[in-house]
Amino acid sequence: MNKMSAITGSRRDDRRLGDEHDAQLSAALARCAAGDRAALQMIYNSEAARMIGVARRILTRQDLAEEAVHDAFVRIWRGASGFDPQRGSARNWLYAVLRNQALSIHRNEHRYNTADDAATQFDCDATLTRMPEASALRRCLERIDRPRRDVVVLAYVHGMSHGELAEMMQVPLGTIKSWVRRSLFSLQECMG
Amino acid sequence: MIMHDDDRALAADYVMGLLEDGEMAAAERRIATDVTFARAVDAWRSRLADLDTTAEPIPPSPALWQQIAGTITPEVGRAPPRPRGAGAATLWNSLRFWRGIGLAGTVAALLFAVIAASAWTTSRQLRGDLVALVQRKPVYVAVLVNDTTREAGAIINAFANGRAELIPLKPISVPAGRTLQVWTLWDRAIGPKSVGLTGQSRTLQLNLEALPDTIANQLFEITLEPEGGSPIGKPTGPVLFKGNAARTL
Repeated sequence: MNKMSAITGSRRDDRRLGDEHDAQLSAALARCAAGDRAALQMIYNSEAARMIGVARRILTRQDLAEEAVHDAFVRIWRGASGFDPQRGSARNWLYAVLRNQALSIHRNEHRYNTADDAATQFDCDATLTRMPEASALRRCLERIDRPRRDVVVLAYVHGMSHGELAEMMQVPLGTIKSWVRRSLFSLQECMG
Repeated sequence: MIMHDDDRALAADYVMGLLEDGEMAAAERRIATDVTFARAVDAWRSRLADLDTTAEPIPPSPALWQQIAGTITPEVGRAPPRPRGAGAATLWNSLRFWRGIGLAGTVAALLFAVIAASAWTTSRQLRGDLVALVQRKPVYVAVLVNDTTREAGAIINAFANGRAELIPLKPISVPAGRTLQVWTLWDRAIGPKSVGLTGQSRTLQLNLEALPDTIANQLFEITLEPEGGSPIGKPTGPVLFKGNAARTL
C-alpha cells in the first residue's frame, strides 16, 4: 500500500513539474510574440537538445537535424502569436512545429530506399519501454499486436511513409494503410 | 463534436506525418478554417506526444543558436509581422487579427499604466525618460557652435534607446582629401571617441553603442580630418564646431 501511494505520489509530482514547465514555455511564447528574443533563447536552452534527438530519429544525420531545429526556431519566433494555450500545451505546439520541419526535410531528401538496411534496425519495443510507465499511450500501444503497433511507431518516430513501411515489411501498400488506420482507431478508443 | 471517420483519420494521418504534399496542404487549410478539425489535430498531438519524450537528447553544435539568432536578427526590436487579411471581411473573421489587437491593447494599457504609475511614484527624471521614449523626443540635445564666429553648425540628438543623430544647420565646406569627423568626450581620462565620419555636412546616425549612456554636459565636436578619419584615433585637425549635451525637458 505504502509503495503504491509513493508511486502515485511521484507520478503526481512528475505531472505537476510537467505542468509548471509547460506554463514557463507558454509564457516564453507570449514574450516571443511581443518580440522578446531572450524568451526564444530560453525555449532553445530548454528544448534544443531534445529537439535534435527527435529530428535525428527522422533524419538520422546531425546536420539535417540541426537544419530542422534551426528552421523550427525561426518558425516558432515568427509564429509565436499563433500559439493558443486554450488549444493545447506549449510543448505540443513546439514539437508539432519541429516535426513539420523535420518531415518536410525528410520528404525532400528521400532518405529511405530498398537498399537501406538502417531502416530495418529501428527497435520499436525499446522506444515503447522508454515511455513513462504511467503513459496512457504506452499502455494503449502495448495492447496492439506487434506488426500493427510497429507501423505507428515507425511512422511517427522515424517519419516513414506508407510506401517505405510497405517496402520494409514486404506487405502490400493497402495492408500497411489498413494497419495504420486500425491501430490509430484502437489508440483513440483506448485513450479517449 | 460530430466528425466523419474520414476527417478523424485525416487528422490522425496529418499528425503522424503520413500525408502526401497535396493532402498536407489541404489539411493545413482545414486547421486554419475548421475549428472542429483543428481540435481533432490537437487531440492527436496530445495523444502521441509521449513518443517525443523517448528521444535521447543530443547537444546541438555550439554555433546553432548563433545561426538562429542571425536569421531572426532583422526582426529584433519589432513585433512579429501582423497577419494581413485580403479584405475587411477576412480581417474581421481573423482570430489572429483580433488577438493582435488584444495584444496591442494590452501593451498600450501596460505602457499607460507604467507612465501613470511612474508619475506618482518615480522621480521626474525617469518620467522624462519614459515620456521621451514614447514621444521619440531626444533626451539630450547638443548645439554645436563655432568658437570664433559663435555660429551654430549642427545639433546632436541623443534618444532614450541609445540612438543618436547629427543634423547639420549649415553647409560645411570640406576640402578635397579631408573628411568631417564627429567626436564625443564622455570621460576626460579616456579622451575623445570617434562616433561618426562623413564627407559632407548631412544628417548622420552616430555610433554611440560602444559608449556609456550620454550624460549632461557631455562634449561633442566636429573636426576636419584626413580622408578615412584621424589616423591616430584622436582629433588631429581644427575643431569646426563643438557643444555640450543638455537634457531636454
